[in-house]
Amino acid sequence: MRNVSASYDSKNLILKNVSMNVKRGTNYAIVGASGSGKSTLLKLMNGMMIPSSGVVLYNYQKPDLKNKEYKKSIAKIGYIPQTLGLVKNTSVLENVLIGALPRLSNFKSFFKMFPKEEIEKAHEVLDLVGLDTKSNRKVHMLSGGEKRRVAIARALMQKPDVLLADEIVSELDSVTAREVMDVIKDAQKKFKLTAIMIHHDMTLALEYANRVAVIQEGDKILEIGVDGDQIIDFQTGNLTQEEILEMYNEPEK
Amino acid sequence: MNQKNNLVIGAIIAIVVVMSYDVGVDPIAFVEGLPNLGIVLKEMTEFESEHWGTAFWAMLETIEMAFIGTILGVVISLPISIFAARNISNKYVYGPLRALLAATRTFPSILWAILFVIVVGLGPFAGILAITLYTIGFISKLQYESIEAIDYDPVEATTAIGLSKIQLIRYVIIPESAPHLLSQILYMFDYNVRQTSILGIVGAGGIGFYIINYIKFFEYGKAAVFMLVVLVTVLAIDWASVKIRDRYIMKAQHGQQVKPMKN
Repeated sequence: MRNVSASYDSKNLILKNVSMNVKRGTNYAIVGASGSGKSTLLKLMNGMMIPSSGVVLYNYQKPDLKNKEYKKSIAKIGYIPQTLGLVKNTSVLENVLIGALPRLSNFKSFFKMFPKEEIEKAHEVLDLVGLDTKSNRKVHMLSGGEKRRVAIARALMQKPDVLLADEIVSELDSVTAREVMDVIKDAQKKFKLTAIMIHHDMTLALEYANRVAVIQEGDKILEIGVDGDQIIDFQTGNLTQEEILEMYNEPEK
Repeated sequence: MNQKNNLVIGAIIAIVVVMSYDVGVDPIAFVEGLPNLGIVLKEMTEFESEHWGTAFWAMLETIEMAFIGTILGVVISLPISIFAARNISNKYVYGPLRALLAATRTFPSILWAILFVIVVGLGPFAGILAITLYTIGFISKLQYESIEAIDYDPVEATTAIGLSKIQLIRYVIIPESAPHLLSQILYMFDYNVRQTSILGIVGAGGIGFYIINYIKFFEYGKAAVFMLVVLVTVLAIDWASVKIRDRYIMKAQHGQQVKPMKN
């Protein structure tokens, strides 16, 4: 992603000349204040938005939802929006199977003729997120943490290379948030995913990511490297978690 | 109450009076004619009980017609409503389609029944066609409105997964808009039973045929039997649809039954 600017109304730029680079296999976290352009960054990555200037490249392709060629690649990007976007009136299993639809023909999907291995795969990912016993439950009957697990399972069902998640745990209490993050961590190890996750909370980001990017007012990205207990702020050279938290964390609401 | 309100109320009363004079509202005729109503009511209480059987079978035919018409209409409405929804369809498709649907709703089903009697002849089939057409106009409208009102988040999320339009409709839009469908069908069936009860007046089958004929020949006692059967049936259907709603809709959506509000 180089020198990218983006805006929703062609007047006010949300992102101004931002550059970043995510290596394959990294566990990347993006942190920033509300309105700093975090979600926009993710939408640029999977092609839901096109940059007004600059270039976004994913696997040497420009993400663009309207481009038919790119549609094959997008099926490989697991995307979990902040609102999760689950279909509330259908079962957990059916929501997860939506992730497999890009691999299915229109005819087969219309009559819900899923191949046996896809259904097995769905149960496998549901087992991984710990929801296989509730696969027939309607989504609107689930708790907040469980809904997030369904969204994760749906994204994993896409057999993704990359997992994009927008503030997936920010509305949860810290215990449930860590449970959900652990699920993602396990999945990431198992399927060798690159994860790019937006966080509201710097503590969580430092705990789970091995690289953290802080966006400031849409025009600066500061990067922090994390390796086990070693934390390095590439800009200031600060080394301890306390110092970094003090610098970047917003006061709690 | 301020002066402006008084003026508006006064104006409305004046308009009602002028219009009543124009169309010939005559309160004196109503008062003078009241004893006639007494005679009719008195004759109506003299049930001719040998007609219960006929009334029962005529009502059954009416319910059958309403049921077939409702189901056919709903089945046809579903694809139509998708093409008529502004958030899915193209404006060159939904525009004309909506105009056509509005046209089918413009005339009450009894007018359509007259038309279909001309087309397929006297009998219940003409009535079924009329009910079907009216149901299409009505349910399509209710459905495309509920499709337009669905939550946009799942649509956005699944588009980002790369779903095709058909998959989007099948897995997101239909499930999201369906919860209201059952209650719409119940309402429509209820409405159609009442409509079908009068379609017999134009010879399109059902219990209305008997009612209108007996009234024409001043046999109020016989007509009353048939009218009573209609009344009981409509009440029964109303009661049953409340039960079905409670059982399947309220429970499915809120996980509980409707309780009276406590203050």
